[in-house]
Amino acid sequence: MRLSRHIIPYLFLTPALVLLIVFNLAPTIATLVESAFVLSLRSGERVFAGFANYNRIFNDPVFWKSLQVTIVFSLLVNPIQILLALCLSILINQKLPGIGLFRSIYLLPIAVSLNVTAIVWGLMLDQNSGMINGILTQWGIARQPFLHSVDQALWSIIVIASWIGVPLWSLFILAGLQNIPPSVLEAAKIDGANAWQSFTKITLPLLRRVLAFVLVADTVANFLMFAPILLLTNGGPQLSTNLIMYETYRRGFLYGDLGASSAMLSVMLVIVFIIIGVELYVLRGQD
Amino acid sequence: MSQLATDNASTQDRVIVKKNVKPVTSYLWPALVYVLLILGVIIVVVPLMWAFAASFTPNHKVFEYAYPFSWRALFPVNFTMEAYDNLFERGFGRAVGNTFFLAIATVIIGGAANALAGFAFGRFEFRGKQFLFLAAIMLTFMVPVDLTAIPRYILVNNFGWINTWQGLLVPGLANSLVIFLFRQFFAEIPQELIDAARVDGASWLRVLVSIILPISKPVLVAAGLLMFISQWNSFFWPLLIAPRQEMRVVQVEISLAIGQYGTVWNELLAGSMIAAIVPILLVMPFQRYYVQAITGTGLE
Repeated sequence: MRLSRHIIPYLFLTPALVLLIVFNLAPTIATLVESAFVLSLRSGERVFAGFANYNRIFNDPVFWKSLQVTIVFSLLVNPIQILLALCLSILINQKLPGIGLFRSIYLLPIAVSLNVTAIVWGLMLDQNSGMINGILTQWGIARQPFLHSVDQALWSIIVIASWIGVPLWSLFILAGLQNIPPSVLEAAKIDGANAWQSFTKITLPLLRRVLAFVLVADTVANFLMFAPILLLTNGGPQLSTNLIMYETYRRGFLYGDLGASSAMLSVMLVIVFIIIGVELYVLRGQD
Repeated sequence: MSQLATDNASTQDRVIVKKNVKPVTSYLWPALVYVLLILGVIIVVVPLMWAFAASFTPNHKVFEYAYPFSWRALFPVNFTMEAYDNLFERGFGRAVGNTFFLAIATVIIGGAANALAGFAFGRFEFRGKQFLFLAAIMLTFMVPVDLTAIPRYILVNNFGWINTWQGLLVPGLANSLVIFLFRQFFAEIPQELIDAARVDGASWLRVLVSIILPISKPVLVAAGLLMFISQWNSFFWPLLIAPRQEMRVVQVEISLAIGQYGTVWNELLAGSMIAAIVPILLVMPFQRYYVQAITGTGLE
């Protein structure tokens, strides 16, 4: 009986670990390997192609355009979401009557899926009879094309993504705010710091770890933005919302070119690894 | 008046004057907080209220009060169950049933596997622990599953699992975030509790079931909610793996409806409201657990 003590943890680990290795770890490695093959979904043939897939995507203007759109999207959506999430977390951290009710309401978007959000906001932003245009015309502003315009479609996707993203990330920052000992802020007040000073000199530095985590997690999540594109724009108009995750789906599953799709996913995986590497580096420096 | 007072008063008087002024400004900040919070609430609630109201509206009147806008857009003033009736007549109930089945199966089977792994990581010392945790748990936690969907799809295709329940269910059972939650919780249980049972000769499995589980309600609720809702809301994998109609889940069904029934807005919104209401009803009573579950890893 005593001998089995050494086996027991491994027995407990086996089911979950086997599943993780087979369905998560192996595909991660395979994503990198698979990009060196050309595979046809229809014939099932799989031929070694070396860097041919990479050559193909790197010479493809649609891929570069997609990468460019993704970078622009990231540079806009992440700062916007984190800044608003920081503001929201400060608001719902106030000790005021009824704050619990507000916190509950702000949980609603987090429970709702991105698909539902995209469908509802897609209709809200409808260019002919959507509610947003209904409100705008009441204020004397002309109807806007939103998702049908090269200039506004990406911004519309940013709004849709932020409706979930802002309350979601504010929860993390709120948890960080609540971890700050009140005595520290009291001490600053006694020393004569005003609210702004104690925010920038004490609160923000103490939030650095949480903010670093949120920045990375938000960047990765938005890097993979997919459902609103599939449901609302199909990457258009004129590829202006053709985010990289949608491009891999289009290539792989609509055109059946899994080789090119895998090569793009490998590029994305490398980018994600770099982002995570930076996170680990930043967080290590804090301890 | 106060001007005069400060002019010829000592510093002590000045403090008193300041104190008398303070209440006025101290109301400004809470007022600003409430105004901003209410503004945010409007942005959160108005789309949901409109969608909810429109799902109970005849299709040709869905946009009636949205454009031009009137407050009536937020309430089902032309109430009808038409959209829901049609939706379920077309077999939406099947998708709801499928999704419930998958989510519950994930909670039970995945929950057991993840709890066992969390227990091993939280309570045992063994060779390779550190390595296994970093390689299997941390790595899989950080790499988003959607990024590795194509090799997973090829693998599952080789198993012959396309358009099967196994294909939908099995790849999502193990969840590194949930293992993480269980590990954190189990690691904090006092050793004496376990020792007492071990002295009585109870097996480890017995200790887990009769000692640990009964006191683990917070982590069970948190992990259960997390697994249920992520399965309920999952979209990309079911879209790839099970396009056949009988296998469709709610999220896939509503996403396809936008193409097929793109102008039957009230049905599209009715489907969306069903997809939304289930996780909302689950989260609301267990807010604290759910918030802990999603933010748990961020603060490590």
